[in-house]
Amino acid sequence: MKYEAVLTTCPYCGCGCKYYVEVVNGQAKRVMPCKEDPVSEGKLCIKGWNAIDFVNSPDRLTSPLIRDGETFREATWEEAYSLITSKFKEIKDTSGPSAFGLLSSAKTTNEENYLMQKFARSVIVTNNVDHCARLCHASTVAGLAAAFGSGAMTNSIPEVEDADCILITGSNTTEQHPLIGTRIYRAKERGARIILVDPRSIQLASIADIHLRQRPGTDVAWLNGIMNVIINEGLADEMFIEQRTENYDEFLEEVMHYTPEHVEEITGIPRNDLIDAARMFANAESASIIYSMGITQHTTGVDNVKSCANLAMLTGNMGKASTGVNPLRGQNNVQGACDLGALPNVFPGYQAVTDPASREKFEKGWNMDESIPETPGLTVVELLNEAADGRIKCMYIMGENPMISDPDISHVREALDTLDFLVVQDIFLTETAEIADVVLPGASFLEKDGTFTGTDRRVQRVRKAIEPIGSSKPDWVIISELARSMGSDQFDYESPAAIQDEIASLTPLYGGISYQRLDERGYLQWPCPTPDHDGTTYLHKGEFKRGKGHFFAVPYRPPAELPDDKYPFTLTTGRILFHFHTGTMSRRSGPLNKEVPTGYVEIHPADAAKLGISDGQAVRVSTRRGTIDIPAYVTDRVPEETVFIPFHFKECAANLLTNPALDPIAKIPELKVCACSIEAIV
Amino acid sequence: MNDELRAVAAEILARDDIDGIVGLKEMHGTVRPCFFTDADQLPLMVVDSRYPVASVVRLLLEEGPDLRLAVVCRGCEERSLIELAKNHQIDIDSITVIGIACDSDTAKECNCSKPYPDSLMVGTALENWTRDTYDTYRQMSGEEKLAFWNEQLEKCNKCYGCRNACPVCFCKECELENPLWVKRGRLPPDFPIYHLIRAFHVAGKCIGCGECEKACPTGIPLMTLSHLLREDLEELFGYMAGRSLDEQNPVITKEEYE
Ligand code: SF4
Ligand code: SF4
Ligand code: SF4
Repeated sequence: MKYEAVLTTCPYCGCGCKYYVEVVNGQAKRVMPCKEDPVSEGKLCIKGWNAIDFVNSPDRLTSPLIRDGETFREATWEEAYSLITSKFKEIKDTSGPSAFGLLSSAKTTNEENYLMQKFARSVIVTNNVDHCARLCHASTVAGLAAAFGSGAMTNSIPEVEDADCILITGSNTTEQHPLIGTRIYRAKERGARIILVDPRSIQLASIADIHLRQRPGTDVAWLNGIMNVIINEGLADEMFIEQRTENYDEFLEEVMHYTPEHVEEITGIPRNDLIDAARMFANAESASIIYSMGITQHTTGVDNVKSCANLAMLTGNMGKASTGVNPLRGQNNVQGACDLGALPNVFPGYQAVTDPASREKFEKGWNMDESIPETPGLTVVELLNEAADGRIKCMYIMGENPMISDPDISHVREALDTLDFLVVQDIFLTETAEIADVVLPGASFLEKDGTFTGTDRRVQRVRKAIEPIGSSKPDWVIISELARSMGSDQFDYESPAAIQDEIASLTPLYGGISYQRLDERGYLQWPCPTPDHDGTTYLHKGEFKRGKGHFFAVPYRPPAELPDDKYPFTLTTGRILFHFHTGTMSRRSGPLNKEVPTGYVEIHPADAAKLGISDGQAVRVSTRRGTIDIPAYVTDRVPEETVFIPFHFKECAANLLTNPALDPIAKIPELKVCACSIEAIV
Repeated sequence: MNDELRAVAAEILARDDIDGIVGLKEMHGTVRPCFFTDADQLPLMVVDSRYPVASVVRLLLEEGPDLRLAVVCRGCEERSLIELAKNHQIDIDSITVIGIACDSDTAKECNCSKPYPDSLMVGTALENWTRDTYDTYRQMSGEEKLAFWNEQLEKCNKCYGCRNACPVCFCKECELENPLWVKRGRLPPDFPIYHLIRAFHVAGKCIGCGECEKACPTGIPLMTLSHLLREDLEELFGYMAGRSLDEQNPVITKEEYE
């Protein structure tokens, strides 16, 4: 009898809880929380407790598949590699490297993301590599980098509980980041003031001191309004503004237009509530802003993020413990996928592809003859648009499911159908894999070594607990073997530890991180430039990464699509506690699926009464892009004239409805607001 | 204390009638459960209050019913083995308890009713320690108590952690997942039925280890509930779960009906 408790990191959300997986005779049996883990402290959410469930699903891909007419046939790895190699070479010869698009994955390890972008940039020789961060926090990366010089969560998860005031907006924290919810509850217990700004009455509303329910898509307006009050009441931190920031005057001029009265007209937030919230935030010794996709997934996503940055700087809540601007990243490793350069404009460590010195460093590091293109590549939504137009001919997608996750799915399907050649690498035959030419079976997080980077820049180990299922292989092995098959000699790695050593040598942000140090210390938070560096709990202490913090004047712009006579409701989308993203993992987990087996639309009782809709009844929801049939959940969680649909469920996919209109800078689609109509199905 | 434990463990591991020892080891800076089958592993063995080894015992016996185990046990862990035996989940005769005593800090933290096992081998039994008697809570009016629990339980994240971490929860079909009682997929779960079902389902088996509260991500004071129920059962019936194999559980739950 062999028993081992293997310490690893959760594959679901960005909290980055570590826990033990108990393995008996080579079988993963149970999850046991780790009481010494600094994030989870021996507590988990329902997804963590059930994280090993999907691993043994009978649906796991166990062999490479090659398209054979309408179906697939099983193939050997050699066969699959040689087909992909010949197709990739043919398309590269005839259409050039810019006809390729590669999607990396926020679910896979840092090492695998590093290899995917290395494969794109050194084997295909294109910057057309991106991943789903585009759909969640591209606006964070762009907005915070512009304001502060670094696009990540400024402070750390454990610090949240010591804040005196926490402003939470666009984050349903107890459902999407339950173990950060833990810290908010603890802060409350300690006497911290909680300000919630969310159209919906989410669970945190029950402990909020103030709950502001704005109209969806009006975030710039209420943020400017709060700042207007703070400035007019003399509550701004003059010293901080003077010493550590720039461009205050331009910002001031803009903010002065946003009187509480004006803001009430735009947002629907009663002026006195706004004033109370402003005072509460500004008067706190340490105040922390927590946000997530409710801020980022808008055509004004970057503006929203910049406004959050303005508020933190205005009140001097930067560069100290328990303060800051804290975007909560959704996926377990979306932070790492960004850090490791699975983005079209940057190499690992946010080194710009437009910078000749960076290009030279990587060309040398990877021993390349060709030069890496000097312009940024295309983003996810652009890649799919170009595919539909026939300019992108070939895609290699690892661990992503744009057929559910991206806006306007009918368009995605059309784009992928137009491709000459599509390779999908995943652990399940996802909706996207179903239309691929070749499918490569990856191994799950339990079957490989690596690292994930949690939302608070916390790099932690993923440890192999069991052997890969069937003939599946870890993604780092697949990419390396494919690269070798393409003729590269730069992908000979003995283990992920060796990949991390290469990452450290080319990426100052991760320069001091090694497996040995992670084994000794449990985690390291970047920046960690050297092997004797302890890592960084909060950013911008003493000085911003970019020098001075930059105030932006941000005028309010309405959402791209507003309700009208034909589509009188505002549709907002999001996630729920019991499921994850496209449901690929969570819907194959018995306990999670049992809780919520299918989607629903939340609708206010008054609206339901008007339309003659009762709880549980099927309704038809339509937008300019599509129509779905879905059961109604009549609840006052949503305000009147606003409805909410979780996007996890393919049979009633919210993203058939959503608007692909993009933020002009971050190219993030407006998944949080569009106009829809609802009718009862009789 | 670690050295003392390792010495005792080495002797027991050398016995012919023992296949291995369930205990804790330290590795990569954290303490975790381990199945010690080889004397070479013993230098890693540590005394630590943190992990409920009874659930590891149950897991091992599920896979290897004939295993003859020794188990490093604190007071609460011995009590949980006794409860599992009373409920026919394990055969206690095949288990050798290596009892260790808790210090006063640990006893206080757990508000423990008896911080040492009967089969004590390592450490000294702590006889005098002060226990919280939940007086502030007891002084609340019925209305205040209801408001208190309402406020606490509204935070519930429905993680089922209180059940998963409990060493004496062992039903294959859990009533918490029965949509007859608790609506699925709602957050917070229906008040107070979700929590009442759990409390009553462990009543009479609950050995007061506090693992439920330690696992709760939202800080609900579940230990208060456990201890109060335990004390009531002692007061009313002179019964205490985990004290002895011969005491009959006065609370009849669904399984016993069937
Ligand atoms: S909070 Fe996030 S990381 Fe922690 S167990 Fe739940 S899903 Fe996993
Ligand atoms: S204290 Fe909690 S975890 Fe321990 S036995 Fe009682 S109910 Fe179970
Ligand atoms: S452990 Fe806490 S949050 Fe989880 S189900 Fe139990 S009471 Fe609810």
